[in-house]
Amino acid sequence: MRKKMSYMLSLLLTTAVLFTGCQSQGQASGQGSSQGTDKLVIAARGGSHVDAMNAVKESFEKEHNVKVDIIGLEAADLKQKISLDAKNSKGAYDLIMADDPWMPQFSEAGIFAKLSDLGIQEDSDFEESSLALGKSPYAIGDLYALPFSGNVQLFFYNKELLERHNHEVPTNWTDVLETAKAIKAEDGSAGYVIRGQQGNPIVSDFLPLFWAYGGQIFDDNWKAQINSEAGHKALDTYVGLLAVGENYENTDIVGSVSEGRAAMALGWPSWFIKGETASADYTAIPSKAASDAESVSTGMIGNWMMGVTANSQNPELAAEFLTFITSSDTQKQMVEHGGVPTRKSVYQDTELAAKYKHFPVMLEALQNSVARPRTAKWSQVEEALGAELSAAIAGTKTVEQALTDANKAMDDIMQ
Amino acid sequence: MNLASKRVFQWAMLAPVTLLLICVTVFPFIYTVTNSFTDYYYLASDAKQFIGFSNYVKIIQDEQFRQAVWNTLKFMFLAVSIETALGLGIAVLIESMRRGQKVLRITMLAPSLLPPVTVALIWQMMLSNHNGIVNHLLHWFGVGPFNFLMDINIAFNAILFIDIWQWTPFAFLLLYAGLQSVPRSQFEAAKVDGAGKLRIFFHITLPNIMPTLFMVILLRTIDTFRLFDKVNILTGGGPANSTTTITQYIYKQGVYNLQIGYGAAASVIMVMLVLVFSVFYIKRSMGGTA
Repeated sequence: MRKKMSYMLSLLLTTAVLFTGCQSQGQASGQGSSQGTDKLVIAARGGSHVDAMNAVKESFEKEHNVKVDIIGLEAADLKQKISLDAKNSKGAYDLIMADDPWMPQFSEAGIFAKLSDLGIQEDSDFEESSLALGKSPYAIGDLYALPFSGNVQLFFYNKELLERHNHEVPTNWTDVLETAKAIKAEDGSAGYVIRGQQGNPIVSDFLPLFWAYGGQIFDDNWKAQINSEAGHKALDTYVGLLAVGENYENTDIVGSVSEGRAAMALGWPSWFIKGETASADYTAIPSKAASDAESVSTGMIGNWMMGVTANSQNPELAAEFLTFITSSDTQKQMVEHGGVPTRKSVYQDTELAAKYKHFPVMLEALQNSVARPRTAKWSQVEEALGAELSAAIAGTKTVEQALTDANKAMDDIMQ
Repeated sequence: MNLASKRVFQWAMLAPVTLLLICVTVFPFIYTVTNSFTDYYYLASDAKQFIGFSNYVKIIQDEQFRQAVWNTLKFMFLAVSIETALGLGIAVLIESMRRGQKVLRITMLAPSLLPPVTVALIWQMMLSNHNGIVNHLLHWFGVGPFNFLMDINIAFNAILFIDIWQWTPFAFLLLYAGLQSVPRSQFEAAKVDGAGKLRIFFHITLPNIMPTLFMVILLRTIDTFRLFDKVNILTGGGPANSTTTITQYIYKQGVYNLQIGYGAAASVIMVMLVLVFSVFYIKRSMGGTA
């Protein structure tokens, strides 16, 4: 009897282990799933984006009798979760947000549903450079995501500090360096603050200079062009700026420029601008290397896109929400809650433009913005380039060596 | 019960846990090793192909990986040595105190109770150039501010310091427990024989707590190899790869870039390295000889 009980117990435990394994797998695949048509799940970049969506979603929920769950995640976490969920036949998320450099990787992997299949067509009211990011191939292909947040880098400066030393706001990088040198010499304050943390920060901070010097990251055959005359000049300038400035992470960049301990820096609008107020003055990123050089686009675009997942359980409803959340009316409402528009009509709205003084600058910067190379391997390229740029500013490699190594590493990745 | 049915009974009892171990340990390990010989990219898993030792060759040739291995080993050696020495010193000190032992024991443990992510975020604020309390304090003494996390001469040491701050209490706790188990009679006999404090420490305390000491070293060695959160949050591996660790390298390649095959190969190399550095301690702590 005891023996039989033991066998039974053992069998029961074994079955329980197997069952638990199967069940947890099932739960994992369906976690957060919309389960029917009464719920939409959105994987979003946490912070102001989620706040803005939460503030306006109620009208959609009421109209469609649906609950919209918005899951806010850190960028790296968001990318990982979206990628893992893409393999499930029934996705946990109906809509996903994606940083624009992820778009080629996600589009190639078939993570997004084609929006034309869901009845969403191109809308000319979206700013063109933003809309182009959602197409695959870039700018000319089918539409897979709509621009949700129109982020673009700007040039921030402390007006009082510049005026105190009779300096104009520089319009080219040679002047930026000269002004930074002068302020350092005259005032002792940092002339310019670089954002030199290895990885995405330093790459985002350096590329506008590189572009201003006429640089192209890759040629038409995807051969790296970072080790070029433009690359050398840009990195020399960048190292020169650090010599009369500081290397901070974003909180200290904002603090130092806003409070006048530093004169100039590049940054994303949301760092300095909250609602109607800005803690520092701003303008578009200088578009020329020198006063007599050719003017080119230099503002790095960093839009957050939103699309319907290919494995969504409610693609039609998700498409309706996407249309709702990116509509002109909704964008106007979201501005009040920290939303950054992507539609021209919102930027040009006279009432809003009177209240939010940065709108004209933002729109101009968006219209003259530059997208990072549209390759699925961008995150790897960025990592390799970031490591070499970091080595150059830390002084462990010469500018020449860092650019040579970066070029080789980028070519190896693109092979 | 005859021998055969006893054996069946034993296997039946072991079956659930054996199955569980196979599911959570053996299968993932074999799966990882298998993947390390492929070009498995998560978003194109159907195109996965066997590529032999290519991943391993590429990893070993990668300057960043070699730097990550060096950083990890350097970090492991310094962190384990300092944490163990400090933990032992504090344990001996507190154990010798007549008053305040309880209060000190509890307050000492606070840092090791915090999750590494929280620790990293707290120190990120404290080490900030302008808003951080550390630079404010240093300013009172007329030094700084220091760019702790972006200066190539400081960043590695800053992370090492934070790890020591967090994990010395853990070493202290184990060693303090070890000290409690040393028979009092040995100390009393030594005192009667006129032995000094140092002699008592080296000839009685240390031999008695040796198994605990090895356990602390083993656990911290394994744990320092896994250093990730602090580096990823505080420095991102920079400046100039000076704080990159193996786990961060694996995360970047395998998790963020979704190059599962490549990340798996780096993980296998890391396991080998951990084994090389742990086998000595494992043998000692299991009672064998190294």
